[in-house]
Amino acid sequence: MVERISALIGHYQFGHFGKEEQVGVVLSELPNLSLIQVATWPENFQELSFQLAKSYGIKNAPEKGKCAAIGDIALLHVEPLKWWCYGPLAPLEIPIETGASLDISHSRAHVRLSGTEAHVCLNRLISVDLRSSACPVGSIVSTSLHHVGVTIWHSKDGYELFVPRGFAIDLWDILKATAEQFGLDIA
Amino acid sequence: MTGRRVSTGGLIDRERSLEFSWNGERLEGFGGDTLASALLANGKSVVGRSFKYHRPRGVMSAGVEESGALVTLGRAEWSDANVRATTQELYDGLVAKGQNAWPSVEFDLGSVNNLFGRFLAAGFYYKTFMGIPPLEWGTGTGAWMWYEKFIRKAAGMGRASRLPDPDKYEHAHDYCDVLVVGSGPAGEAAAIAAADKGLDVVLVEQDSMLGGDNLVVDTSQSPVSRLAHLESQGIRVMTRTTAFGIYDNLVVGLLERISDHLTDPPTYLPRQRFWTLRPRFIVLATGAIERHLAFGNNDRPGVMTAMAGRAYLNRFGVLVGDKVVVATTNDSAYEVAVDLHHAGAVVSLLDARAQVSSILTDVVQSIGIDLHLASAPLDIKGRRAVRRLLIAKSDGSSWRQAFSKECDSVLVSGGWSPVINLLSHRGVRPIWHRDNACFLAGPTDEFITVAGAAAGIWTKAGCIKSGENAGNIASSAINEKSLYKLSPTSIENSSWSNPIMPLYEIRESNKKLKSFVDFQHDVSAEDVRLAHREGYISVEHLKRYTTLGMATDGGKMGNVIGLALMAEAAGKEIPDIGATVFRPPYTPVSIGALSGRSTGKYFRPLRRTSLHNWNIAHGAVMVETGLWQRPWYYPQPGETLSEAYVREAETTRHSVGLCDVTSLGKISVQGPDASEFLNRIYTNPFAKLPIGKARYGIMLRDDGVVMDDGTTWRLTETDYFMTTTTAHAAQVMAWLEELLQTRWSDLRVHVTSVSDAWAGIAVAGPQSRAVLESNVDNTEDISNENFPFMGVREILLKDGTQCRIARISFSGELAYEVYVPADFGPHVMEKLWTTAKNFGGCLYGLEALGTLRIEKGHVTGAELDGRVTLEDAALGKMASPNKSFIGSTLSRRSELLREDRPQLVGIFPKDRMATFNAGSILKGATSVVECGDGWITAVTHSPELGHWIGIGFISGGRRAWLDKQVFSSDPVRNMDVEVEIVSPHMVDPDGVRLHG
Repeated sequence: MVERISALIGHYQFGHFGKEEQVGVVLSELPNLSLIQVATWPENFQELSFQLAKSYGIKNAPEKGKCAAIGDIALLHVEPLKWWCYGPLAPLEIPIETGASLDISHSRAHVRLSGTEAHVCLNRLISVDLRSSACPVGSIVSTSLHHVGVTIWHSKDGYELFVPRGFAIDLWDILKATAEQFGLDIA
Repeated sequence: MTGRRVSTGGLIDRERSLEFSWNGERLEGFGGDTLASALLANGKSVVGRSFKYHRPRGVMSAGVEESGALVTLGRAEWSDANVRATTQELYDGLVAKGQNAWPSVEFDLGSVNNLFGRFLAAGFYYKTFMGIPPLEWGTGTGAWMWYEKFIRKAAGMGRASRLPDPDKYEHAHDYCDVLVVGSGPAGEAAAIAAADKGLDVVLVEQDSMLGGDNLVVDTSQSPVSRLAHLESQGIRVMTRTTAFGIYDNLVVGLLERISDHLTDPPTYLPRQRFWTLRPRFIVLATGAIERHLAFGNNDRPGVMTAMAGRAYLNRFGVLVGDKVVVATTNDSAYEVAVDLHHAGAVVSLLDARAQVSSILTDVVQSIGIDLHLASAPLDIKGRRAVRRLLIAKSDGSSWRQAFSKECDSVLVSGGWSPVINLLSHRGVRPIWHRDNACFLAGPTDEFITVAGAAAGIWTKAGCIKSGENAGNIASSAINEKSLYKLSPTSIENSSWSNPIMPLYEIRESNKKLKSFVDFQHDVSAEDVRLAHREGYISVEHLKRYTTLGMATDGGKMGNVIGLALMAEAAGKEIPDIGATVFRPPYTPVSIGALSGRSTGKYFRPLRRTSLHNWNIAHGAVMVETGLWQRPWYYPQPGETLSEAYVREAETTRHSVGLCDVTSLGKISVQGPDASEFLNRIYTNPFAKLPIGKARYGIMLRDDGVVMDDGTTWRLTETDYFMTTTTAHAAQVMAWLEELLQTRWSDLRVHVTSVSDAWAGIAVAGPQSRAVLESNVDNTEDISNENFPFMGVREILLKDGTQCRIARISFSGELAYEVYVPADFGPHVMEKLWTTAKNFGGCLYGLEALGTLRIEKGHVTGAELDGRVTLEDAALGKMASPNKSFIGSTLSRRSELLREDRPQLVGIFPKDRMATFNAGSILKGATSVVECGDGWITAVTHSPELGHWIGIGFISGGRRAWLDKQVFSSDPVRNMDVEVEIVSPHMVDPDGVRLHG
C-alpha cells in the first residue's frame, strides 16, 4: 500500500519554542486520519442514531455538539444530521434511504493542541467559549480559525483540530506563533 | 513648577533605579514611576506644546485624560506618537521626546502663533484661506489645497513613523459571567460580591496597579496584596487593560498592553492584545475625572488637577511645587491641601464657595493652611512656569480681582465628571445631575450597572456599598434573568458634606483672558462664545466648529465646561443644551492591535495543494490565485515565462502535459433526490445522466446571470461528484447549502465539500491515454471504446492506488482528469510524470493552461464575471427548454435577450505580428462611446496559430462586426491595435482532437 503523505511534511519541526523553562502548549499532528462522514435524512435520524450507537457499543449516540469516544474510535455529532466516525472502525453499511456515508479522511489534517494553556492559546484565535463549563471534554465545536472553518473536538487528550488539508500549513504556522508565548513543545 | 522627589513615601520602588532619555537628556526615575512622575521629579515642567498656538504645556493630570504631556516614544520604526506621559510606565532605557515643536518644547519657534492668537480663533483658517476674494471668486477652493499642507504642518500633534510597525499584536477572546471595569473601592467590592455568589468574574484595570482611587488616598494596602486577595476569591484580574468600547449583546472591546513597559520584551510576546470579551453582566466602576476651571492662562505648566497633585505625592513620592495654590469648588480638594501641607509645601486653599462647614475649614486652618472662601483663580502670570496667581473674589454675582499670590503651582478642582463613556457607546444618553454638577448615565435595559464615583458617589464608604450592591445585582440579573435597577441616591452618605458650587469659568466682565476649555485642541472660552455668536447653537455644531472634545482625549477634560459656557451664552441650563455622545474607543487603540496577527505572512491564510512540494521540487514557479498557491510555469534553465508557457502549451498539444488541477472545487452530492437536485440547479438536463458519465453544466443565479460552470460525474444512482471553478468553489457550495436548507428542504440530498480530499491531475495531449495505460493493470479499462469522451471510471493503478478518472478536456486535446485521495497525490503524480517523460511530455502551469483554453474559447472566471448570460457566453444551447431551473425565468428578461448585448468572441490582431492587452476596450473605428463596444478578458500567444490571440466580449457578437474595423484600445498604456473579430473557437473548432 502506498504511504500517505502528511499535509505538514517538510514543515514539521520537533522541539521547544518560545518561552523557556515552561511548556504550556504541546502541538502535534496525528497522521493517517481516518474519518467517515455519515449523514441522514430528518425522518431517519432516530433510526441511524440507533444504528450508530449499536455499532459503537454505546447506549445512545451523542447529542449534537458532543462526542462519544471509545478507545481509539469516536463518534462525533458534528451537525444536526451528520456524524463523523473517527478512527479505525469497520465500514458501516448504510442504505441510501437511511443515509449516506462519505470517506473524508484525506480532506483534513488532524492537529492536537494540548497542555495547561491549550484553551487559552486556542482562544487567541477562535471566539468560542472554551471554559470548562461551556466546552467540557467530549464537546464538538465548529468555528473559524484564521478565517478558515475548522471542527474542534475537546478530547481527554486535548483539543483535536480537524483543519482543511490545503490550509494546514498556514494554520499550523499561526498556531505555532501564538503558542510560543506559553512555551511550546512540538511533539 | 519645581517638582521634586520627597525622601519617603509613595508606591515606587526606590531600590530600582531606572535610566531614561528625555529630549536626548539622560534622567533617572524609579520602578513604579510613570514618565510624567519621573519628569516632574526631575524638575521638567515644559513637556509639550499645544496644538495650535504652540503654548508651553506641562503635566495637567495623572491619568488617561491628559492633554498636556503628550510625547513621542521610541525612535524610527519604534516611534509611537501622542503617548500620554501620565499613563506610560517608566522602564530602563525608555526614550521619549516632546512633539509639535521645533527645535524643542523648551524653545519652540512655532510659538510665534501665540502672538497672533487673537486672530487664530475657531474657524480662522477656513474663513481666511477658502475662496479668497477676489482671487478665487467663482473658482472654489483651489488655493486652500495649497495652503492646507503648510497649515497642517504648523498645527498638529505627534508624527507617526512611516516605517512598517515592527511589533506583534494579537487578538483574544474570552467569556465570563461578570465583567467589572475598574479596581477602585467600588470595583473591588463589586468583583468580590459577585465572586461570592459563585460567578465567574473578570476585573479589568487600565492602570498597572490595582486600587484605583486607593492608590492616591489610601496606600495602606499594597497593590500586590490586593491582587492576591482578589485572585484568592477566584476573580480573574487583568491589569494594564482598558475597556475601550461596549458593543451589541454586551460584547466588550479590551486593549491589554503586554510589553509597553518592558525594556527588552521577548520576541514571542505581542506588544498589545485586543480582547473581545463576552460577559453576561457588566459593572462599570470606572470612577470620575476631575475637571479644570476656565481662567486666564489656565494651561501654564504648573497647573494641574488637585487629585493629580495628590497622586504624584502619595503614589509617586513627587511634590509638584513648594508654593501651591489649591483652588476648588467642592470638598474633595481639602484633603489634597492637607497632604501637600504635610509634605512640606506652603499651601493656600481657594474655595469658590462663600460658606463651608466649619468641620472642613477647621481641619485646614488648624494646620496653618491659608484658606480663602469665595475666592477663585483669575489669571496666571508666568509663561513657561507659574510665577504668580491673580485671585478673584465673588460678591455673589460676579468676580473681581482682589489679590494675588506668588506660587509655583496651581491645583484645580472644578468638580468631577463620572466616566460614563462606555454606557454612552450603548446609546445611553447622559443625564445632568444638578446637585453633583455632572452628567450621570441614564437608565438602560441591558445587563449593565454603574457603581462608585461613576454613579456620582463621592465617599469611599458609599463607593464600597455601591460596589457590593452592583455585585449582587449582577448575581440576581444572571440567575433570575431580570435587571434590578439601583439608584445611586439610595446609598447613604454618598456625597460631600457641603454642596458643590457649579462654577466653570472665572472672569471679570470687562476683561479678556486666554482661558482654555479644551487643552488638547486649544479651544478657549472665547471660541465657544464666538461659535454661539456665529449661530452654532447645536452642541454637535459647536463641537465641529471649535473642535471641542475631539482628538485623543475625546472631551474628557473640556466637554462639561464647554457645554456650561454654551448654556450661559444661550441663556439656558446645561440640560437644555444637550450633550455630545461619546463614541468608542474610550482611549486610543493602535491600528496594530486592531489588525492583530493578520499582517505580513499572516494577512490571510494560503492554500496549498497536496502536490505543492512536488511541484516546487520539479521547478515550478508558483503564483497566488485567490488563496491557492498554483504552479505558474516550469521553466527550463534560462527560460523566460513567455518561452516556458509557449513550450508547455506546444508540448501538450503535440505529446502530453501534466497539470496540477487540485484547486478546482469539488462537491459530493449524495442522496435519493440528488438527480432531481442537480436537474434544478443546472441549466441543462441531468436527470438522465448515465452512471459512469460526466456532463458539463452551467448554473445560473436567480437573476439569470451565469454563476459557475463545471463537470458533474455520476458515480452511482445516488452519488455525484461535482467540480466547480477554482474561483467560485466556496460560493457554489454555500449556494447549494442555502437551496437545500431554505427552498428545497424536502429533497433528501447532502452536499459536502471534498475539495481538499482529492488531488487532481490533468493528463492532456495525444499521448495522454498512453501515459495512463502504462500505469493501470488493465489497459482495456481506458480504451477509446470502453472509456469514451465524458466517461468516468474508478480505476486501480498498478500500485493499488484507487483513482477516479474522467475523460474530459479543458485543453481541447484528448485528456483525462485523474483524482486520487490527497495524501496519495505526490506519489501518483510521480508515477504519471515518470511515464510522461518517456513520451517527451511536460509539466504545465497556469499560464499554459490559459493558452490552451483561450485557443479553444473556453470560459473561466475572467469571462464569467457576474454580468454574463448563457447567450453572452455562446452557451445558449445549454439552456433546456423542457424544464425549469434556477434562473430560467429571469434569464428570459427582454434586457438579457437584446441582440446587441456583448457576446463572447475570439480576437486576432489584424497585423499578425502585433500584440494587444487583456483589459483593453474593443471599439469600432467610428465609436464615440467612452466605454467602447466591448472588452478583452484574456490574451496569449498561440503556438498553434503562431500569433497573438485573445477572447472577450463585443456588442452583438462576431456577426455584428463582419467587415468592420475594430480596435483594441488600451488607454492606460496608450496602445491602439487594429484587431479582427473571430469565432471564440480558434483551434480545432470541431473538437476532433477530443475524440482521438
